[in-house]
Amino acid sequence: MNEILLLGRRAVREVVRLPAATVPTLFIPLFFLAVNIGQVSKTFPSSTSFLHGQGYVGFQLPVSLMFAVCTATSGLALVTEIDLGYFDKLLVAPIRRSSIIFGRLVADLVRGIGVAAAVLLVGFAFGAHMRSGVGGALVVVLVAALWGVAYAGIGMLVALHTRNVQATNASFLVFFPLLFLTPNFVPFDRLTPLMEALARANPVSYVIEGLRSLVLEGWVVHKLAICLAIIVGTGLVLTWLSVRAIERYDR
Amino acid sequence: MPASVPLPNQAPDHVRTRGPDPSCPPAIETRCLRRTFKGGVEAVRGIDLSVAAGEVFGFLGPNGAGKTTTVRVLCTLLPATAGSARVAGIDVLAHPAEVRRHIGVALQEIGLDPLQTGRELLELQCGLYGINGSAARARAQELLELVGLTEAAGRRTATYSGGMKRRLDLASALVHSPDVLFLDEPTTGLDPAQRPPVWVEGRRITSGGTTFFLTTQYPEEADRLCDRLAIIDEGRIVAAGTPEQLKSELGHDVVSVALDGADVAATEDAMVALPGLERVVAERDALALYVEDGPASIAEIVRRLESRRIRVGAIALARPSLDDVFLRATGRRLEGEQGREP
Repeated sequence: MNEILLLGRRAVREVVRLPAATVPTLFIPLFFLAVNIGQVSKTFPSSTSFLHGQGYVGFQLPVSLMFAVCTATSGLALVTEIDLGYFDKLLVAPIRRSSIIFGRLVADLVRGIGVAAAVLLVGFAFGAHMRSGVGGALVVVLVAALWGVAYAGIGMLVALHTRNVQATNASFLVFFPLLFLTPNFVPFDRLTPLMEALARANPVSYVIEGLRSLVLEGWVVHKLAICLAIIVGTGLVLTWLSVRAIERYDR
Repeated sequence: MPASVPLPNQAPDHVRTRGPDPSCPPAIETRCLRRTFKGGVEAVRGIDLSVAAGEVFGFLGPNGAGKTTTVRVLCTLLPATAGSARVAGIDVLAHPAEVRRHIGVALQEIGLDPLQTGRELLELQCGLYGINGSAARARAQELLELVGLTEAAGRRTATYSGGMKRRLDLASALVHSPDVLFLDEPTTGLDPAQRPPVWVEGRRITSGGTTFFLTTQYPEEADRLCDRLAIIDEGRIVAAGTPEQLKSELGHDVVSVALDGADVAATEDAMVALPGLERVVAERDALALYVEDGPASIAEIVRRLESRRIRVGAIALARPSLDDVFLRATGRRLEGEQGREP
């Protein structure tokens, strides 16, 4: 545990000292939030049934949160360390290799909390409000950050398998189909049958639904539970794969 | 750099002895060590080594000879394809985690995190080896003083010069006072003026009794630092011994005759039956004459060349170097050689 904390502290320090790696990740979610609201707000006024009395910003906010926390930052940090040779230094230290992964995840959690809070504040500025109150806002930030932690495994897996910066950077693109094959613009029942089937099969849909319920509906326990279960499941699978990849690195 | 700072494994001055300790089991031992990469590239082709505790052992060879691969196997970064290896008495393949507690490693690629300061990096390294809190802070300070980086300790390592990075990397390999220290080409990439300080540092460290496994492509570095060395080429050891043993096997002096366009065969022919001549090695643009008494031979060499009207360039006298040893063993000179020792 000590080594995870040490490596986590170092990774967090890296996030703080290299804002250029985090700040741009806020641009796309905020851009999409602004553009989507501008384009669709009149089509879906607050009287629209699925908006529960809020403006469209409340419906879009969870999508922007997902955009903000899903990055390949940890994977890029890992592949950069491989390039620089510092990764070898860590591998010859008498520590569990998995602690290198978990140390990175600590930074992902901290970064995720920061960017999710920033997006939420911008959402409030656009007129969104939390039906679940202040507690709900805190949970939204935490749950979004946890999804970022769960998702970080993809970037780390690509980094460990390819050891290539470009490939790791490109792994971010995986998230586009995952995010857009969801009820991101309208609810499930307003999608075409094919899109609805794809969206219902996509676990990311239920993470968005969970976050959205906190914004629009309040505390809807079953939606939140499914959301958390998917985050935990995704996190366990991707983290296990990352740990397995680092254990097998050059072995 | 203050000399009073305690060195790793350093005994008090009155009891300190440098050099191998034959009463201890070997610090490094390999038997038929092999490493083959995907695609069938055989980087290491059956290496047998035995390095005594406290010894400074060098691996001298050109790029691609198998030096780094051997180090990576011994440091547990790569598994061997065949053969066995023990470091600090521990089987590298069976107990890699245990080996890591006993070794310090400074690889050819300087392994530093550019966003950390020198002090933060050393304190983190201490933590990874189980040294925490005030003990870690004290150890980091001690090592910063040892490598002369106290003033730069608060700066991020990205701002360090190549020499400073190398010294910090060396310090980070020492946090836990390792029994065996691996240095993979510690001066490659440094300009010639930056190398001697690293050698001095290496010598100071080894004066504490740490076993030192050094790889290098610079003969002068191997000569200055190593108690014993092996010359490696194409994954095999082609010569081994102390630097003096290896050089003395070549002869006493080397007279190098720059050909400057002169005919090699004619020049070589002119030297037949030269008194005291032990060996002639033709190089691309020079003839190396290994003779018993260099100063006495030069006059005769000049006389012979003049009598045959062979015009050559400079004639230089030197002691045989490890590069000459490499030349004899492989038929080639080492890459990166900057010139013969004066």
